Amino acid sequence: MKILLTVLGVIIGFEVAAQTLVKGKVLDEKGEAIPGANISIDGTYDGASSDINGEFSFQTSEEGEQTISASFVGYKTYTQSVKLSGALLQLSITLREEINQLDAVVISAGAFTAGEEKRRTILKAVDIASTAGATADIAGALNTLPGTQKVGESGRLFVRGGDGNETRTFIDGLMVLNAYNPTAPNTPSRGRFLPFMFKGTSFSTGGYSAEYGQALSSALVLNSKDKSELNQTDFGILSVGGDVAHTHAWDHASLAGKIQYTNIRPYFGLINQRMDWIKPPVSIEGSSAFRQETGESGIVKFYGNFNHTNYSLYQHDIAEPAQKFSFDLTNNYGYGNVAFLQALNEKWSARGGVSYNYNHNDLLIDGSPVDEIEKGLHAKTVFENTVSDRVELKFGLEHILVDYEASRVDSTLGRQVQQYQDPITSGFVEAELYASKKLVARTGVRGEYSQRLGDAFVDPRISVAYKPFQQGQFSFAYGRFRQTPQSIYVRAESNLRPETAEHFILNYQLVNDKRTFRTELYYKRYSDLVKFVNGNPNNLTNSGRGYAKGFEFFWRDNATFKNLDYWISYSYLDTERDYLDYPVASTPSFASTHNFSVVGKRYVSAIKSQLGVTYSVSSPRTYHNPNMEGFNNSRTPCYQDLSMNISYLPKPFLIIHASVTNVLGRDNVFGYEYSSTPDVNGIFAGRPIKLPATRFLFLGVFITLSKNKSINQLPNL
Amino acid sequence: MKPYVMILAMSLLTQMSWANDKYEQAMLKNIEAVYDAETPESIQQAVNTFERIGGAEKDKWEPFYYASFGYIMMSVREQDAMKKDGLLDKAQEVLKKASAINAQESEIVALEGFIYMMKVAVDPASRGQQYSGLAMQTFGKALGMNPENPRALAMMAQMELGTAQFFKSPIDKACATARGALEKFDSFQSSNPLAPRWGRHNAMMVVNQCK
Repeated sequence: MKILLTVLGVIIGFEVAAQTLVKGKVLDEKGEAIPGANISIDGTYDGASSDINGEFSFQTSEEGEQTISASFVGYKTYTQSVKLSGALLQLSITLREEINQLDAVVISAGAFTAGEEKRRTILKAVDIASTAGATADIAGALNTLPGTQKVGESGRLFVRGGDGNETRTFIDGLMVLNAYNPTAPNTPSRGRFLPFMFKGTSFSTGGYSAEYGQALSSALVLNSKDKSELNQTDFGILSVGGDVAHTHAWDHASLAGKIQYTNIRPYFGLINQRMDWIKPPVSIEGSSAFRQETGESGIVKFYGNFNHTNYSLYQHDIAEPAQKFSFDLTNNYGYGNVAFLQALNEKWSARGGVSYNYNHNDLLIDGSPVDEIEKGLHAKTVFENTVSDRVELKFGLEHILVDYEASRVDSTLGRQVQQYQDPITSGFVEAELYASKKLVARTGVRGEYSQRLGDAFVDPRISVAYKPFQQGQFSFAYGRFRQTPQSIYVRAESNLRPETAEHFILNYQLVNDKRTFRTELYYKRYSDLVKFVNGNPNNLTNSGRGYAKGFEFFWRDNATFKNLDYWISYSYLDTERDYLDYPVASTPSFASTHNFSVVGKRYVSAIKSQLGVTYSVSSPRTYHNPNMEGFNNSRTPCYQDLSMNISYLPKPFLIIHASVTNVLGRDNVFGYEYSSTPDVNGIFAGRPIKLPATRFLFLGVFITLSKNKSINQLPNL
Repeated sequence: MKPYVMILAMSLLTQMSWANDKYEQAMLKNIEAVYDAETPESIQQAVNTFERIGGAEKDKWEPFYYASFGYIMMSVREQDAMKKDGLLDKAQEVLKKASAINAQESEIVALEGFIYMMKVAVDPASRGQQYSGLAMQTFGKALGMNPENPRALAMMAQMELGTAQFFKSPIDKACATARGALEKFDSFQSSNPLAPRWGRHNAMMVVNQCK
């Protein structure tokens, strides 16, 4: 009974407890008042909001040891233990800004990020898909950004005087080899990965994080989408084939699959091609993605892609066009990766995965077989530690294995094989330190050990960003980057060391909701480039050198003109290199001094259509004319292209898309190729390098079936 | 012995109903404050109180539901797109606490759909595709849990109207949904005195466009 009385006493006593007055002020680090902050005694109703002067006061009947907390959007929650005794409690609370806020300084030197979710990104994911002239190719859209050079006959990303192989693609942090579909000679290739698969794209033209290795000039980092939320089936009927895709979503998992058949034969039947086809390209391609959410914040992603392509054509002799030989290519490609992301606790998270590439080129050149198989494996684990809201630490371990074999059958020597293996083990550590919301530094170091060479390499990477203004900020980046030379050289000389580039970048960027301005100044120093000894392609060293320097501008605006969104890019490039068979340092043929692009997009509701226009100009490129004195002694005419596209949305679930490149029909010449031997008069016969067709026309009808008919495939286009 | 037990039992009951009253009263007062708020500051005050109540009442979903609703209302009044997004993120974060307490509550799911709908409004060109589908699906899910939820229907009608206007197609379907929503508003009954009451205005806005 005593117990019962005690219980009653406690309950009643609780109601008549002494009141304590809690008063105080909430300030930020600069001593300025924070109005609207929430001050509370944890686990009770008691508390108050701070007023316009940051002041608050409230009564509480709680007693003894209690925790008082204060919180406000954008600030770290403050907690303090107090003793409530009935006496006045006076508090002075300082809230510290949370750094990972949207308006904090970010490292922007070299990096273009595109995402749907993040605000103030330079491009949105949908931009990549809707840029005219890109025909929904990631590289095609990124080629309208500064830092890239138009190399129309290639379609790849050539960054700041680097060639197309110096740009490396990563999916969820894992390396991709052979990121482009095979194409016929002088035909722009398309990336193997479709833009709609990714929620975010980060295209770096230099100075990237220590996390990315085996990339000399540029890293294209693609982050795949998380679990799908919607069930849908998509059909595409294209002028060059068709596709069908289905996505199924469960509570914690989703599965998507797509099959695409491309047959360019009917199209080539209609549009005359400067190409002597035996069999124009036909390909079948499939991809599948599975996502499983694990625990509260983890996810495991599986992605697989296969492609089978075949074509054959006749190549004609330059001097004697009547002489021709057949060229037949069958390419089988497979890519698969498993990536995971898991928060271990509040401070630690782990991510990583394994990717596998398989690329098999089966060639018949004038009837004799040439075989090339490249296999790549990449395993990676990264740990990230949020030491505090101002210090972010990450470190990781990786192993890359490339296994290459090429063989050909020679009429006298029989089957000849060239092969090598290139296992590289690497590790990196990188810290991001915020001094304040205005100043951040990222310093990292990457170490690589090459088993092939029995040698190790250590490279520093440093970036600093400073945001003195509300919207504008400066960034600086420095880093050393390495990449194993291309397989056609390593297979001939297995002791070739990695090629090296050092990047120095200075950037100013101003981003707000409606407009973006960005300018960058850079210098790049190349060393250890592959060089032929006395012009002999089988005697290779690392004695090549080079440089690239320039500046770039980017302007994007979707506010000045109603309903019109446009961007303008300009790049100036000065580059020379002394590598491969170059007798002297010279500007390589893929580099153009001036590159200019304008991209415009507008939705016209009267015709329910989105219209897009892209205009690009590049200054002349060099080529070597053996009939003249000197090396790389000639210049092509300048390059111009005007492309347009239209997406018509008559119904929410239906899109009709049409695009055409080179509307004006300009006869662009990318260079000249010459016969290897002179004719009787001592003249080397030449032939211009051009696209097989002046224009490319594309027509597609896309239908989406889902429970809810308002979903369509627009983001995919 | 018996009388003491009675006294204790009665005392506990009073205590409990007192506690419940305290909860309900505090909630009702602040719910009114959010509905009637004139300024973002007064919404912030109410939101702060909801968050405090939520911290004390570990098994009640309503405080976090209304805190989230308050943040959405603040985002409506905000002009800067980035700040709008920040408030919507906050609304989403707080709503997660509500659904952790009661995952089967149709009102919570409907509010989640409302957040997606507001995210579309911030940047329709680049988010429309992703979030409008998601919003519609979420409203559908809320109706699956409670077909009588008038708010889910009202917002669905708004989405349907927006889609129809974009494609310049007839708005009959949106009108029908909105009229259905108004009927449900009239018949909506909940044993929960703290049940949401907002949303009629959203349905009216659609109906006003119908001939």
